[in-house]
Amino acid sequence: MTHVLMIAVAPPAEQTILVDALKRFRGKGATVHLACFFETGTLEIEPGLAELHTFAVDTAADPRFRRTLARSQPARRPWLHARRSHWIREHARRADLMVAVDAKAINTVWELAQRNTRADAISGLAPALRALTARVEAAGATANGGLGRQVRSSTSIGVRGVRRFVVDTGRSTLLNASGTKVMKLPAGAWLWSKAVAAPRIPDNLRSKLALRVHTSMVRAGQASIAIRTSAAAASRIRDAQTRARLLADEALAELDLGRVPTELRSAVTAQLSNADAWATKNPKRAVDALASAFGLLTHRVLHLDQVRSPLLIEPDAFLAPVRTSTAARRLSAPRGRSTIAAPPPTDRPQRLLLVVPDVDESVEELRRHCAELSNVELRLLGVDAAPDSRAMARDSKSIMEEILTRTSPFGVRVEDWIRPHLDWADTVLVDRCLSTAALVTLHDPGATRIIVRLNGPELFELWPHLVDFSRVDTLVLPSVHLREPAQAVLPWLAEAEAPRIEVLGDPLHLRPYDRPKSDDARFTLGLVGFNAVTRDPRWAIEVLRILRKQDQRYRLMLVGTGLSAKTSAAAKRYNDQLRKDYAELEPAGALLRQGPTDDLPQTLTGIGVILDSSVYQGFPRSLVLGAASGAVPVARDWPAFAGRSEGAAALLPAEWVAATPQQAAERVLAVTATEERWREAGREAAGHTYATWDWPVVRPEYDRLLGRTGH
Amino acid sequence: MPKPVSTTAASGTPPATGVRPHLIYLAIGFPPAAKSCAYRMRETANQFCRLGWDVTVVTICEEAWEREFGLDHTLSEGVDPRIRVVELPLVREDLETNIRAFSEARTLDPKGWLAGLRKREKKLFPEPAFGGWRPTLEEALLSVHQEHRADLLLTTCAPYVNLAATWRLWQEHRVPYAVDFRDGWSVDVIGGGEAFTRDSEAGRWESRVLEQALAVWCVNDPIAQFYRDRYPALADRVQVVRNGFDEDSIPARVRTPDLDAGLTLGYLGSVNFPPAFLEAVLTGWRIARQENSLLARSRFEVRGHIGAGAAREANRHMELLRAAEADGVSFGGPVPKAALAQTYGSWDALVLMLVGGRYVTSGKVYEFVATGLPVVSAHDVNHDASTVLAGHPLWIPAVGLAPRRLADSFGEAARLVAKITEAERAEARAHAQRFTRGAQLAPAVAHLADLVGRGGTRPTSPSDHRALTGDSRP
Repeated sequence: MTHVLMIAVAPPAEQTILVDALKRFRGKGATVHLACFFETGTLEIEPGLAELHTFAVDTAADPRFRRTLARSQPARRPWLHARRSHWIREHARRADLMVAVDAKAINTVWELAQRNTRADAISGLAPALRALTARVEAAGATANGGLGRQVRSSTSIGVRGVRRFVVDTGRSTLLNASGTKVMKLPAGAWLWSKAVAAPRIPDNLRSKLALRVHTSMVRAGQASIAIRTSAAAASRIRDAQTRARLLADEALAELDLGRVPTELRSAVTAQLSNADAWATKNPKRAVDALASAFGLLTHRVLHLDQVRSPLLIEPDAFLAPVRTSTAARRLSAPRGRSTIAAPPPTDRPQRLLLVVPDVDESVEELRRHCAELSNVELRLLGVDAAPDSRAMARDSKSIMEEILTRTSPFGVRVEDWIRPHLDWADTVLVDRCLSTAALVTLHDPGATRIIVRLNGPELFELWPHLVDFSRVDTLVLPSVHLREPAQAVLPWLAEAEAPRIEVLGDPLHLRPYDRPKSDDARFTLGLVGFNAVTRDPRWAIEVLRILRKQDQRYRLMLVGTGLSAKTSAAAKRYNDQLRKDYAELEPAGALLRQGPTDDLPQTLTGIGVILDSSVYQGFPRSLVLGAASGAVPVARDWPAFAGRSEGAAALLPAEWVAATPQQAAERVLAVTATEERWREAGREAAGHTYATWDWPVVRPEYDRLLGRTGH
Repeated sequence: MPKPVSTTAASGTPPATGVRPHLIYLAIGFPPAAKSCAYRMRETANQFCRLGWDVTVVTICEEAWEREFGLDHTLSEGVDPRIRVVELPLVREDLETNIRAFSEARTLDPKGWLAGLRKREKKLFPEPAFGGWRPTLEEALLSVHQEHRADLLLTTCAPYVNLAATWRLWQEHRVPYAVDFRDGWSVDVIGGGEAFTRDSEAGRWESRVLEQALAVWCVNDPIAQFYRDRYPALADRVQVVRNGFDEDSIPARVRTPDLDAGLTLGYLGSVNFPPAFLEAVLTGWRIARQENSLLARSRFEVRGHIGAGAAREANRHMELLRAAEADGVSFGGPVPKAALAQTYGSWDALVLMLVGGRYVTSGKVYEFVATGLPVVSAHDVNHDASTVLAGHPLWIPAVGLAPRRLADSFGEAARLVAKITEAERAEARAHAQRFTRGAQLAPAVAHLADLVGRGGTRPTSPSDHRALTGDSRP
């Protein structure tokens, strides 16, 4: 029996190749143990082929190990994990053949081979199979190596330990010398600003050094020196791709620190210039550059983890590099359709295909409502519909490549998936302007009518830029205030071939919310949904503080999953402040965190005033549901739209809207002054809500939408 | 200097003693290397042998080929037993798969190690991966010449580092030489145009060595024309010597298609094109199966080498082929030379997948046309393979690499196979007759032998060379 120990550091991209190789190893009588530096749950391997084991150590509880890892070279880190694994040590001792399944596993196998001098140590599955064959054929021959190899290895292990200590110390010294502490010193910052711009440094080295120095300077609060240093280093880099990558990496590093990059525009422009240069010669490279540029422009720190998105403040300036890039413009350039959409059939029910990114609760509601529409045969198409459709929906690079080249196999796969549905449907309703909208418009839809619902947050994402709006018949917005920003972000919407824009509220079934309020609801403010910085719960807390100065009976109930501090440093900063607010207000009973609820109508019975503190909204669903429950609505005048012709007041009654926490508090005090006044205000708001957004009211609008023909 | 690992003359006869003219044939890729160039090399050496020459082939050891595309010992069976083969202990370090042979530095920084290796190689000769072989090759040629004085050196490239050894032998012993340049060096056969300028280091090497050559062979007219244009003084020495096919690789008869059971289409050759290329063809095949009921029950077999070193048969190509198994696609590994005819004989049509464009002809196209099977072209429209295929009655011409159009080509192939006649097959074979390897090489070999016999028109002294090149040393 031959014992084989395989080490895999990266999940195999070609899993079938691994499985096939394992079958061949078994066919030659080998027992295989496969150690993975990743969760083995991702592997679909029959138990009889190999025993699987994960050797990544949980570093959370071991700061010393974390420091050791941080000091070591990346290629050595898997080995540092592996040597702590009893399982690996045991099987390495018994192994006749050790195999590095991928290049990142070579160092680990090399180290194991220094300890088991008898075994063969091979890189790659096919060469390992050959080695196994040779070993089987030479069975009985003297084992490799022997005492000499063992002695040399043992000595070498000791010598290397000393050498590594010296090398790691040297690296640590360099890292410390270019670290934040040094950059805080004027002399240190000055020295490094000159060093990265010194002549005759190879581009790659200069790029790495400049990134390190730039990031340290930004951390040290030396942003202006960082800009100058970066510019000086970039001007010395001859290769345009390296220069663009440096600028992009610097911008990403700043975003990781939760900052809006100082040279965001330069970084985006450089990447897009590369994309323009490569667009025809090498579309894959062009796509990489485009993905990098849009990755920066749509980074969540810019739009979701801070309260002022530059896209909404100055869309033209923010997107100017996109407007001037030929490659970026080609992504959304109208490609047209061969025929206009056919009118709905009159001799049979209209076939409606509802395309959704994920089947969640709101989609279920939309699906139920669509099923109720007049004379409609409904089908739902989610991104899990086909074996690889989710992967296709995530693959923005392949979508870009198909748009640029029109001949990629990816395009054929998408068409294979989508085309039968397009052929079946009279009308396709794409919910949310995300990847599904890009995929549906990737090919000519023929006579099928395409309707896309844009909820609002998608404007911050890449996907709308990949949608061919010349193939969309109707774009549905949930509120009129989104029209202007949508046209600013997507200028094609103002072109001749643009789709018709319809404003239709969310299809909401409000009757379940009509329940009596509890007795203590009058002084309970509620905020439903605060899982993003842009929901700005601290604005609601500010309202609460003002109220409590007047009357200590007011309290705030936060309903839903809280903010995640892990998304970015910017979100963490906001969350830190929020936690301080909790610490101050919760002990006094002023703030109550309810957590997520399965029964929102019941939860709302305890809320007398429903707040919307968002920086922006496409459609304030929670506010409307709260108002339907009889809570008095108070909405922030979404600052992202402040100064525009249409904002929150374009959708909501003016008396619901407050520009500042002070105004909001004043409205709350006024409407809750007496029990009667409060209940009356709640009834009025509920009345408006039912008359405006309840499904029976909205449904004819949807019927009308589906009854319409194309351009 | 590393000594040759082995010197063999298959019959056991000692090396010739100088009565017969002696050819040193620097042919890295000579059998048993499982490479397509091995056929050309074998035929070249055999023809010189038949003309009465002593032939010493200088190549590299078998272990080197095991690391790369492997060995095919059936290829060696056709090598004239009088030919002496000198194998040099040269291997590509970057394709090493024995981790025990790695330094720790290599395991920790594979990219850095490779960059360092490439730098060291290029210091010796401006060719990545092979430049480091220069000293061994030079010493080997000098040593072989010292043992048995050579009348002619025929150098075949790639690798181009062979030119350095050729030059050294010329410099020191004035051994006349010819270069079988095959795909050329300074011509970018894939992208088209110039791969490097004349004043680059590689450019200086090329111009210097070619200017002294008795003859420069190229595999097709576009490459030959490129060199005639680049070096007008060489124009009359540049010859087109096409690859051709070996008659023993061609089946005497191909099978009658079984339309009820479905067809079998085949590709045979190295899978050396980009994954996106293969994906386009497989996608076209899938579309065609959806649209054509005959193809829906048909299979597509891919045979040949995929990947080298640690990535051998473990790369994106393999993943694509495995994923296409549901579409009747299978991968069967390499085919030994001796089994080529049988493999072609088991197929109903061929799929010719080729990279490059007007400068690439490929070796396999000759075999493909000679089989008498329909050939579906899956390559650039402006590809030199089309010049070989033009006039072939069972050819579905190239339509580019858009899957939709390739699907139409597959559909056309199915229709063609369904109504094919023996007369058409015979016509196809007749079309290929002018491309037998022997017929292609014989005039060039005879011409070269004549040139040496007459003494040629080459310069005879170092000063003459300097006058021509302006430099005596790269």
